[in-house]
Amino acid sequence: MSDADSGRARDALDGAADRLLGATPVERVALALASTVTALLIGLVVVTAAGYDPLMFVNDMLYGAFGTERRLTITLRETSYFILAGVAVAVAFRTGVFNIGVQGQFIVGMLATTMTILWLTPFLPANRLGGVGLLLVGTLGGVAAGGAYGALPGVLKAYADANEIITTIMLNFIAIGVVFFLVDGPFRGEGESATRTASIPEYAELPPVLLDGSDFSILGLVATVGIAVLIYVLLTRTRAGYDMVTSGHQESAAIYSGVDAKRTIVRTMTISGMVAGVLGALFIVMHANAMPNANGINTYGFDAIAVSLLAANHPLGVIPAGALFGGLDAGGQYINVASDVPPQLIDGIVGLVVLFVAAPELFRMAAKRTGLGGDRR
Amino acid sequence: MSRKGSRTVVSLDGITKRFGDIVANDEVDFTLEAGTVHALLGENGSGKTTLMSVLYGLYDQDDGRIVVEGEGREFTSPRDAIDAGIGMIHQHFQLVEPMTVLQNVVLGQEPVDRGLVDEEGARAEIEALCDRYEFDVDQYLDTPVRDLDIGVKQRVEIVKSLYRGAEILVFDEPTAVLTPQEVEGLFDLMDELTKQGRSIVFITHKLDEAMEIADEITVLRDGEAVDTVDGDGTSKEELARMMVGREVLFDRQARDRTTGERIFEVEGLHVRGDRGLEQVTDVDAWAREGEILGIAGVQGNGQSELVQALTGLRPVESGRIRFAGDDITETSRRDRIERGIVYVPEDRQREGLVLEYDLVRNALLGNQTVAPFVDGWFVDWAAVRDHARDIVEEYDVEPPEPTARSASLSGGNQQKFVVGREINHAPQVLVASHPTRGVDIGSVEFIHNRLLELRSNGVAIVFVSSKLEEIQKLSDRIAVLYEGRVVDTVDPDDVTDQELGLLMTGNTLDGSDESLERRSDVRGDT
Repeated sequence: MSDADSGRARDALDGAADRLLGATPVERVALALASTVTALLIGLVVVTAAGYDPLMFVNDMLYGAFGTERRLTITLRETSYFILAGVAVAVAFRTGVFNIGVQGQFIVGMLATTMTILWLTPFLPANRLGGVGLLLVGTLGGVAAGGAYGALPGVLKAYADANEIITTIMLNFIAIGVVFFLVDGPFRGEGESATRTASIPEYAELPPVLLDGSDFSILGLVATVGIAVLIYVLLTRTRAGYDMVTSGHQESAAIYSGVDAKRTIVRTMTISGMVAGVLGALFIVMHANAMPNANGINTYGFDAIAVSLLAANHPLGVIPAGALFGGLDAGGQYINVASDVPPQLIDGIVGLVVLFVAAPELFRMAAKRTGLGGDRR
Repeated sequence: MSRKGSRTVVSLDGITKRFGDIVANDEVDFTLEAGTVHALLGENGSGKTTLMSVLYGLYDQDDGRIVVEGEGREFTSPRDAIDAGIGMIHQHFQLVEPMTVLQNVVLGQEPVDRGLVDEEGARAEIEALCDRYEFDVDQYLDTPVRDLDIGVKQRVEIVKSLYRGAEILVFDEPTAVLTPQEVEGLFDLMDELTKQGRSIVFITHKLDEAMEIADEITVLRDGEAVDTVDGDGTSKEELARMMVGREVLFDRQARDRTTGERIFEVEGLHVRGDRGLEQVTDVDAWAREGEILGIAGVQGNGQSELVQALTGLRPVESGRIRFAGDDITETSRRDRIERGIVYVPEDRQREGLVLEYDLVRNALLGNQTVAPFVDGWFVDWAAVRDHARDIVEEYDVEPPEPTARSASLSGGNQQKFVVGREINHAPQVLVASHPTRGVDIGSVEFIHNRLLELRSNGVAIVFVSSKLEEIQKLSDRIAVLYEGRVVDTVDPDDVTDQELGLLMTGNTLDGSDESLERRSDVRGDT
């Protein structure tokens, strides 16, 4: 390539980067929608090439996500989980701490919620009121456990200089292993043949409201959106949030302004773990009703990294991003049972959507890092 | 006439560049003669960098002509300018930090041998270049750039340009980041380069430097070229008048002696630096209410560590720090901010500002626990926004837009904003580290006046600067640091530049004359 060519190429790149960095929120949403459609179209080509009927596929996908009240509740249920996990990741990423351990914090939160409710059941009246009490205390137990499990790598990073990416990944395995051991042994429900605890009493579950369907309560979704808003307010409107986000952007400036960098890291990881703990609690009281085998639990904690990236780590952006993931998940589940399209193909298409939708955000981050676009002085 | 060149290598005719409604360059004419240094002098925002960015192909001019070596040129990118033999050394270095010096120099122009980078060939070529100009860069060829001192990084940038065959070098405020010794080194280098026939454009806002090194000086003001004068045939006063359009007073005004309480005091202070070595040794010092204590010294003699200890950013090894009678040695940075000890930091881009934030969000930096900006847990953004607007207006920050991203401001405007924020904090004690570094003359005077105003309002000020004239102009007492110790504390009225120079290199003024007695007056608590 001649020099002039590479100069032009650089200019073109610069222009493209400018476009990406300068995208307005509306443009970003449009971009996300266009990416989803494009990814689905490419997915359909693959489906057709593999010998399946693409129209059927689209139909099944939409039906699976929205076709009946029951299907819709599955979409909304999964959406709630993706939002909570996404917020847990986003709050850490925004603050410059890379919490890859949301999955572990989620699992620990699940177990803590289950066991808190099971232990307290004999002491509270077996009615609606006692149920509400169990539900609240159980949720608190999950939040506390998730927060503590998140604080651990935070402390390790702040005071022992241990890289949080590595420690959180390792703590995921530890959580799965230890919880499996507990549920398989000491905490196994009486007479359970499978690896699971006893079920929490029915009156302690989150009751379905308005929509009747599959293990879903609108109350759960409302609480989820409420937490996303709460985290948004925390990060943008409070002193603590300003300290946290400033640490994420430029630690030296945060220290200059009087922020205790070590405490901020621990605080961030704790909050992130607490949100993961809420997810654990919701999963139990709305859906699982007992702690299952830790090995077989959906990987919301990992998928949430994509959800958060898709939302540019914005706690409110996580809501539509989580909805997209929830819809794809519910549609995919349906296709899996209702058609002979192999599940791998569905996963592949979901992967394409993630790739397409998250790619502009990745390029945007890369452009920012390499200094392409923007002001040149 | 000291003009060495007889051949014009660059000529800019009537260059006009607009950004929206703002005219950054208004029909500017500029010529560079072969083998000379031509200084482009002006305040921040006067259009110096814009003009050179037009020459370097970073901006397209709206009007005017660029002629290089007698040929009219249209540069659409820096690549074209480089091909035409123009190199630019930016204020913020364009180096890849984790890569070695060798890799940085050849980046984009790698010599290729059978499809592979010919590292040995590159090495030989760079070593030859370094030999010719007596550069010390060749000894760092395999060192990652991030491990180098700023002065060396700058020389790497120069080698990079020379390696690309630059005959015309544009230096954008090259001395802003350098210590006085490094500045001398740079000037020697510029001499050497012009002797070899290369031509240099030297962008600066420092009168002394322009007069010292330049053959010709063109002064820009508000985007217009005021005049071009001979480096030897001008005076500081003339240049200053052209730059700001009025006479600037460099003189120290007479002031009353202060008699306030010793509000801020350190005793037997020892502080360790980043590498665990003791950088501040047994320092006793104090500042009274309504007094400016100047800290003078060649950079790197413990000033940074002392300031960090005073402001709560660095733990103290031993010794005491007292504020208004309280021992605050062990208190946190935030606690000290709340007590009213504020700090204009040495490095505005690393500490004083969050570059990604707009000015509104930066106005909260350091004020997170200060009323009226916070109410309990919550930030009152409306109050912060008003605060940001006040600072921008009062300190004449360009652009006067509180929602501007701070990274988009020029260095001088960033500094004005930081100084404004800290002063508006209504401090009891102000620690200011090089508060006028990189700021244009008009703003320097403005900041000086604000400091004097604070002083009359009874604030104790610890003022660190490497510029002697500024230290002498503002300080009530000057403590001279050398190798972490206070060599002496002197009265600025009674000390000459030569005497200060001696102290700064570790000599004492023992037995010189009766000035000793006067100094002991200053040292004692009057």
